[in-house]
Amino acid sequence: MQTKPNERSASVFVQLRFADCSSLFTLPHSHYRRGVERNTQLRIVYTTPYSVGVAARQPLLDSEMADDGCVHLKEYKSVKGFRTYRLIHAYFVSCTSAEARRRKADSCICSICNKRGPRLHICLHCIYFGCYSGHIQEHARRKQHLLALDISHGRIMCFACEDYVYDSDYENQACEIKEISNRNLGLPHQYKSWEPSLIEQELLLEHPRRKRITHDSTIGLRGLINLGNTCFMNCIVQALTHTPLLRDYFLSDRHVCQFSDRPDHCLVCEVARLFQEFYSGSQEALTLNRLLHLIWTHARHLAGYEQQDAHEFFIATLDVLHRHCTGANANGGDSNSHQCNCIIDQIFTGGLQSDVVCTSCSGVSTTIDPFWDISLDLGTTPATGDTSKVPKSLLDCLERFTRPEHLGSSAKIKCSSCQSYQESTKQLTMKKLPVVASFHLKRFEHSSRFHKKISSFISFPEHLDMTPFMSHRRNNNNNNSDSAASSGADEPYINDNRYSLFAVINHVGTLEAGHYTAYIRQHRDNWFKCDDHIITKANIKDVLNSEGYLLFYHKQFLEYE
Amino acid sequence: MKEEDVLTAKMIESGELNRWKELLRLRLTECGWRDQVRLLCRDAIKQGNLEEMTVDQLNNEVTPKARQLVPDAVKIELLTKIKTFLQENTLQESQ
Repeated sequence: MQTKPNERSASVFVQLRFADCSSLFTLPHSHYRRGVERNTQLRIVYTTPYSVGVAARQPLLDSEMADDGCVHLKEYKSVKGFRTYRLIHAYFVSCTSAEARRRKADSCICSICNKRGPRLHICLHCIYFGCYSGHIQEHARRKQHLLALDISHGRIMCFACEDYVYDSDYENQACEIKEISNRNLGLPHQYKSWEPSLIEQELLLEHPRRKRITHDSTIGLRGLINLGNTCFMNCIVQALTHTPLLRDYFLSDRHVCQFSDRPDHCLVCEVARLFQEFYSGSQEALTLNRLLHLIWTHARHLAGYEQQDAHEFFIATLDVLHRHCTGANANGGDSNSHQCNCIIDQIFTGGLQSDVVCTSCSGVSTTIDPFWDISLDLGTTPATGDTSKVPKSLLDCLERFTRPEHLGSSAKIKCSSCQSYQESTKQLTMKKLPVVASFHLKRFEHSSRFHKKISSFISFPEHLDMTPFMSHRRNNNNNNSDSAASSGADEPYINDNRYSLFAVINHVGTLEAGHYTAYIRQHRDNWFKCDDHIITKANIKDVLNSEGYLLFYHKQFLEYE
Repeated sequence: MKEEDVLTAKMIESGELNRWKELLRLRLTECGWRDQVRLLCRDAIKQGNLEEMTVDQLNNEVTPKARQLVPDAVKIELLTKIKTFLQENTLQESQ
C-alpha cells in the first residue's frame, strides 16, 4: 500500500483494494464516493467503501485512544513488551505449526467450566484460561489482572476500561503471526482493507466535496469518432476503459511517467488522460487522434489508413503500454517480460504451461511461457482433420486447446533422456491465469491459398470457470509417479478460477469490408453497444448471441500478495 | 460428551477448524455480508452514545440481525464440510 505524491500535483493517490470483484463492476454504487476536486481540474480519485473508516476515525485522531491502546495497556507494554503476546498468538490464536495446534487442542479450555467457549480468553498476566460467561471476569477481579486476550480474534480486553483496546504495535505483531499461520495451512494471504495514511487523511479533509453516482448515470460511456477505418481502435479502447482494474489504476492516478523529458511521447499518459475524459461525465464523442498517432509512432507495423485487425491492435497496445510503464526505449530496449511488475503485466499476463511427453521413455519436458491472450482455432483439428469435431462453444475451444496432442512422426523432438529423436505428445494448460483473460477466436484465415472469415456461431458464457483447464489438474492426474509429495500443495485450498464476461468485440462483414463493434459492461450488469460514436443500451442476450471475435473475462475474486 | 471433545480436538489439531474459519471469512466477504454488518454496526453506533459504546454492547445488538443475514448457500457449504469431516473421523473411531 503506497502513496506517492505526484510531482505534478499535490493530490492524493489512493490505492484501491477490493475484497471481491463484485464491487469492481459497481462503479456507480451508492457506497462509492467519488470526486476530490483540486483547483479547477476535476481529478477523479476513488475512495473505497472502507473510506467510511476515514470519517469515523477523525474524532479519534486527537483523542488518547487512537491506536495506542489504553493507559493500562501502555503500562503493560512498557513492562512486559511483546513476548508473551507473540507466544500466545503463535500457540493459541493463529496456530503457526502442527505442534501449536496440538497444544491449543489440549489447553484451550476454561479453567472453571472446562468448556471451549463462549469467547475463551487468556490472561496476559498469568497462565489462566477463562470463558467470557463470567469466569475470566472473575479472575481479572480477583487477581487484579486487567488484561486478557480473546482467543478467537486475538483482541486485547482491558477490564479496567471495560472494553477491547487496540494498539497498532500489537496488531502488527498479530498480522505477522497470522501470515505464518496461513502459510502453514496452505491458505492465501490475508486481505487487509485500505486505511488512509496521515497525509491521505489530511488531504481528504482538505477536499471534503464528495459526489454520488446514481444507478442510471452514464458515466464511463463515451462515443468515439471513426477517423476512417479506425473502428478497430475504438473497440479496443472501449474494452480497455471498461476493464475495472485498469480503470481504477488510472483513476487513482497511479501512473508515474517514465519519460520526464518527453511526456507527450508516453502512451500510458495518453491513456490516463483518456480515462479522465471517459469518466468526466461529458457525453460528447471523443476523437482519438493523439492515441492513434502515438500507436503509429511506437508500433510502426500498424501505421496506415487501412482497417487493421483488432486483435493485433490489442496486443500491440498492451506491448507499448508495458514498455512505457517500465520506461524501456520504445524502439527496442531491454524489456524483460519475466520480471516486470507493471500494471499491464499484473492484469493481463498469464502463464501457459507446455508439457511435452516422450512416447518412448515418458520423460516430461515442461516450459512455462507468459501470454496476454489465448488464440483459439475454430476449424477442424489440424492433426486429425476430423471434420465432425468442430468446436461450437468457447468451452469446446478451450477443451481442444488444452487437450494432449500427439505430434506426428514428421515432428519428432529430441528427447534428452533417450538422447534421440522420438515421437511425443504435447499438452498446453494454464499455469497462472491473468486477472483479465482475453480470448481471440481465430475467425480470419490467412493461408497462402485464400483469405476467408469463419463466421460460424461460437457460443460463450457470461460466467466462466477455468478450473478444468488449469495445470494442477494435469499435474495431479497424469503425473502420479512423481507428485506423491506435492499432490496437495499444488492446488490451493481456496481455489477460485471463476471469471465474468465484461467486453465482447465483434466483427461484422467480410475481410475486405468489415466493421468492428463492441459490447461493454458498465455498473454491475448494464451492457452497452459501442458502435464508434453511437452508444446504445444492450441486453445480455444480445451480447451472448453476437458472433464474438475477442472476448474479455475478468476474474471474479482477487488474491493478494 | 467425551466423543464430542475428541472430535473437536481433532478439528483443531488437523488445522481444519482454522481452514473452515478462513473459508467462512472469504465467503462472507464475497457475498457482501461483511459490508452489510459493517453498516449495521455504523447505524448502531450512530444511534447510541459514541463515548460509552463498548464492543459487548455492539455485539449484543448487532449479532442477532447479522446471524439472520448469513446466506443459506454459505451455511450449506460449511455444514457440508463439517459433516464430511465428522463422517470420516467417526468412522475411524469405530474401526
